[in-house]
Amino acid sequence: MNDKAIVHMDLDSFFVGVEQLRDSQLVGKPVIIGGQSDRGVVSACSYEARKFGVRSAMPMKLARQLCPDAIVLRGDYDAYSSYSKMVTDIITENAPVVEKASIDEFYLDMTGMERFFGTWKFATELRQKVIKETGLSISMGLSINKTVSKVATNEIKPAGQLFIETGNERNFLAPLTVSKIPLIGNVTSQTLRNMGVTHVGTLSQMPLKLLEKTFGKIGKTLWERANGIDFSPVIPFHEQKGMSKEMTFQQDTTDVNLLNNLFISMTEQLCYDLRKSGHCTGCISVKVRYSNFDTHTKQLNIPITSADHVLIKASLDLFQKLYDRRLLIRLIGIRFTKLVRALEQLNLFDNSTKVVPLYDAMDRIRDKYGSDAIGRAVRIDKKNKRIS
Amino acid sequence: MKFVVSSSVLLKQLSTVNGVIANNPIVPILENFLFQIDQTQLTVTASDLQTVMITTLAVESSDTGAIAIPARLLLDTLRGLPDQPITFKVDRDTFGTEIITENGRYKLSGENPIDFPKVPQVTKSLSVQISADILGAAIANTIFAVSNDDLRPAMTGVYVQLSPEYTNFVATDGHRLIRYKRSDVKSEYDSTMIIPRKALNLLKSSLPSDDTTVTSDFSSSNAFFSFNNIRMICRLIDERFPDYENAIPQNNPNVLTINRSEFLGSLKRISIYSNKTTHQIRLKLAKNDLVISAEDLDYSNEANERLMCDYDGDEMEIGFNAKFMVEMLSNLTSNMISLEMSQPNRAGLIIPADKKADEDILMLVMPVMLNTYA
Repeated sequence: MNDKAIVHMDLDSFFVGVEQLRDSQLVGKPVIIGGQSDRGVVSACSYEARKFGVRSAMPMKLARQLCPDAIVLRGDYDAYSSYSKMVTDIITENAPVVEKASIDEFYLDMTGMERFFGTWKFATELRQKVIKETGLSISMGLSINKTVSKVATNEIKPAGQLFIETGNERNFLAPLTVSKIPLIGNVTSQTLRNMGVTHVGTLSQMPLKLLEKTFGKIGKTLWERANGIDFSPVIPFHEQKGMSKEMTFQQDTTDVNLLNNLFISMTEQLCYDLRKSGHCTGCISVKVRYSNFDTHTKQLNIPITSADHVLIKASLDLFQKLYDRRLLIRLIGIRFTKLVRALEQLNLFDNSTKVVPLYDAMDRIRDKYGSDAIGRAVRIDKKNKRIS
Repeated sequence: MKFVVSSSVLLKQLSTVNGVIANNPIVPILENFLFQIDQTQLTVTASDLQTVMITTLAVESSDTGAIAIPARLLLDTLRGLPDQPITFKVDRDTFGTEIITENGRYKLSGENPIDFPKVPQVTKSLSVQISADILGAAIANTIFAVSNDDLRPAMTGVYVQLSPEYTNFVATDGHRLIRYKRSDVKSEYDSTMIIPRKALNLLKSSLPSDDTTVTSDFSSSNAFFSFNNIRMICRLIDERFPDYENAIPQNNPNVLTINRSEFLGSLKRISIYSNKTTHQIRLKLAKNDLVISAEDLDYSNEANERLMCDYDGDEMEIGFNAKFMVEMLSNLTSNMISLEMSQPNRAGLIIPADKKADEDILMLVMPVMLNTYA
């Protein structure tokens, strides 16, 4: 028995599920979670809203048109992560190897468990346990690898479970449309459609050479996935790859002063998060999206640090280099990558011996009174006399 | 133009100066060695515009003239040849060069020697005589702390402070600083300069390890070194070196005295368990008690060791980059060292307990900020 047993678990419309737990009046109603304004996007929606054609990542304006009676909520991300943690705790306590793929998705490697419990029985009991203890609805799929399990979960959603028996993977995948394969997004499925390929079955029978020629390296992976082959392991620990903050404006702007202040403010907040998580960053990138949706990013490698003054300077420098076309800006963002768990290395020749303890003191104030309690003066909103 | 030279002698000399040649030089001519023949003397020059190295060797010839020869091609050829006299024949019009050996003939196209950049000449300068082993020690003791950060050019070289009483060699990357002081190297008057890392590395590898006298001349923009048959000229870094003297803390009441090799061994073992990119470790000090510890939270690795030591001062906890400490301690030879500190956010000074005559080493390392709460 060399076959693996991989379970994929996915919480059904997780954000909405949490909201419904907290307010039972929302049950059975179309609920949309996302930015309130017309320029926001849908980050989650209930199955009732989906009936109207609402999808996540859709502009809020369009979602409102499709489903005018939907209840729109801003979302409470702290609550979502605490519920996500509850689920994670239950699963990790019971399963041998668990990979948390996102806030509401888990892969479990149950290989070898069949000797003791029977994998399907065990997974079913675990799913029931999650439902019973958290009240959230969760779906799952079981097969010999991650891809097939994930597709199985997506097919049986919501509130279902599906077991794809060994050897039956290709038969299961064949009748599905190609876009059901996790790897295949809009662009790839469009290309495939142009080639006359709509179903996974067709894709699996295509010559490997042709796929490699059309899609490059990814072509082989596509072919493997279509044939239900996926050797990627369940990785129990996922390092946080980056930290980012983005902001979409109510109205597009070219006000460089305002933009600079926002960069300072966003970097300062991100630095606090960075230090709080005990990390330093080795790479900072700045993103600008113009009103025509052209998106440009620029990044800079730096010696690892978590100090405000270094990172603020870097972000402003990057922005200045990036923004040279006096075009209206729709969105700006900052991202820290190459995170390493580290403390701040003090420097001989800047005043870090004084500033770093200051950040430490400011962080303590923020821990106690909230992240808006103290900050640079440029962050003060003059009208409200508050830090924005 | 024609000359005959021993292949092994030529290879040895070329290998010495080859280090100057950059991988992708700004001007293609710099991929060449400049050969200048003056009867029985061959002068070979290699340059990257910042650093120039010149060596001379004896050849058999009756001609005078010059040619630029592709460095990589020539070196690869010489490396593959058994030791023998070889003949170079140069066509002065086409710069075609033919190498005639017992094994066969090799033809390569040279370049016009006129295109090779002029070598700066010694003008109005300060001259200092330094023994090769002292200069070598000064470079070896400082160069590892030189910064790689091109955004801070002043720190990418060793700062040399010449004076009538002593000479300081100082290197720093902002996180640590080494001051290597020699009271047996003196100059007529005070002068300071920053010598770039590349030149010093080349110098270090070509310096003999005996007391050969190295004549060093310094003009306002260049440094000239000559010893045996080798000359080196490098452009100085025209920047202001940071005010390092004020960065050295004066009052350090907390003094740890410890056996260097025991401390070093412990740091090396503990740092295996620290984060692989940051190498951060922590020293916990109490009266005659030192605990070194590290943890890598990502992999749940952790280690700690308790060491015999002599500690006099306040109880404290201070964090350091173990890589810095290991590099510094490995460069010292003294049996016992002392680590002098004031506060957990101030620099620590490493000072060897037994000093050699004429030599004074001070090493300074900045700590990492330990979270006092969290």
